[in-house]
Amino acid sequence: MDISLQIKSLLNEAELYRAQGLFPEAKDKYHAASVMIHKIDKLKNKDNLLKAISGKIQSLEKKTEKVETGPSSPELSEKGQNLIKNLFGENDLQKAVALAKFGQFERAIVELEALLRDDVYRVDAGKNIIRCKMAIASVDDAIDQYHQWLAGDLFNGHQLESIRTYLQPIIDRKGIDKILPVPVSEKDEINTGADSGGIEFSMPEPEEEILDITSIGITFTSGTHKGKMVEFDVNFQSGGTLSLIISKNDKGLIEELKKGDDLDDIQFYSPIAMFKGTAVVANKTRIDTGPKQGDFCLDLKVTST
Amino acid sequence: MAIFNLKKREIECKVVYYGPGRCGKTTNLEYVFKSYKKQVTGEMVSINTEGDRTLFFDFLPIGLGKIKGCDIRVQLYTVPGQVKYSSTRKLVLRGVDGIVFVADSLEVRREKNMISLKDLQSNLKEYGKSIFKVPLIMQYNKRDLADEGIPLMSIEQMDRDLNRQLKVPSFPGSAVKGTGVGVTLKTCLMETLKSLQREFKWAK
Ligand SMILES: Nc1nc2c(ncn2[C@@H]2O[C@H](COP(=O)(O)OP(=O)(O)O)[C@@H](O)[C@H]2O)c(=O)[nH]1
Ligand SMILES: [Mg+2]
Repeated sequence: MDISLQIKSLLNEAELYRAQGLFPEAKDKYHAASVMIHKIDKLKNKDNLLKAISGKIQSLEKKTEKVETGPSSPELSEKGQNLIKNLFGENDLQKAVALAKFGQFERAIVELEALLRDDVYRVDAGKNIIRCKMAIASVDDAIDQYHQWLAGDLFNGHQLESIRTYLQPIIDRKGIDKILPVPVSEKDEINTGADSGGIEFSMPEPEEEILDITSIGITFTSGTHKGKMVEFDVNFQSGGTLSLIISKNDKGLIEELKKGDDLDDIQFYSPIAMFKGTAVVANKTRIDTGPKQGDFCLDLKVTST
Repeated sequence: MAIFNLKKREIECKVVYYGPGRCGKTTNLEYVFKSYKKQVTGEMVSINTEGDRTLFFDFLPIGLGKIKGCDIRVQLYTVPGQVKYSSTRKLVLRGVDGIVFVADSLEVRREKNMISLKDLQSNLKEYGKSIFKVPLIMQYNKRDLADEGIPLMSIEQMDRDLNRQLKVPSFPGSAVKGTGVGVTLKTCLMETLKSLQREFKWAK
């Protein structure tokens, strides 16, 4: 091919890649073109051409940098945030957590704080507030938040203890030398050992080993669903016990499960990791009242991960 | 996972457009939005960064009407292509029922196609799904650029690169012109509904 045609075709390619946002590819082609132009001795407007190309390359470099250094999860419009809530969460807690997963921490905190008033969601909302604070600020902020809750009366001792056992291992993992104070009422229980709640906390397998699990996939190893994996959202978690609300429409999936059954193939999904493990059915109850009437509540005790 | 409401005889399922950055996923959805007015049931929402790059995802709800007595609604999503959004890709992929893999026919994007397909496989695996079992359709996009003298891979080469083992239906396309967009989506929806039928026997 005629060299000027070759150059023209390279520039043509470069221009198209640039227009399509393929900046590194465009840059390569501009480079190749300018190498070729350099080699031609008598070209009328050689200098101008080379200057124009190097200008293009510079602007591409700027654009590339902008893309690469741009925030990976900028604050979205309220409309965008609402969409995320509706598409990625079913209940209010999941909706707030979805915001956090998409990096919308400020709004997530606002929504989670509102959920602190709700008995059902309080502890999980608290843990997720801690998680958001660590994401946008620092572990110190999360620790401050714990101290604030400890001084206030929003949480009872049991609930606070659950938050403490969530946060302390994170602090430890980060190598920060800080010990969160145990809520007073919990200390009493542990000391007297009279209450079963207290004994539970001094059990050899501490709750803190279990990450927050947002959903699980159960692969049935027997029965009509044998070999099939079904995903369920975890509605509540208290340490190693997961509660799933299973809609009456899906009750066929859990019909054959009964208390004491072992589930040997479970995939756990948590915001920071996914892992396999086993669990035992701790309880299966039909919800008889309220908006979830007719649905089932399945409690699973995680036995190993 | 698809949501079934067997009492109301409604199914809502999720189809995700996957592929390397700038291969034309958003353009596919835009074309569907423009050209299938009857099926489109809501706004197309794009969450973009500066410079029209998909940041989190695009979303478009469509309805197929009644099929075998069931009202079928489909949520179409795209994922962002840039490497740094891998966690978003994973979130969007969760519970997916069918996938359109949009591959870029540009020769210079050959490797990016393969990396993205590999990424799809490993993300599916983390959800306990196999790329060999999930309803999957390939689209070899930007075929129109052949006319402009831009180096493209041949269909045979793309099949060899991406589809040798998978052997899924594949279609050439040009999302800007709209060619191949409809047939890709229709085939994907058919495969998706077939697979949901095998699993859940919703059609009588
Ligand atoms: N010539 C041509 N350009 C296309 C085609 N599909 C997409 N593009 C262009 O490729 C660029 C990236 O497309 P986009 O849909 O944003 O890609 P995404 O990152 O996969 O969502 C845009 O400039 C589009 O106009 C096509 O079929 N032919
Ligand atoms: Mg896009």
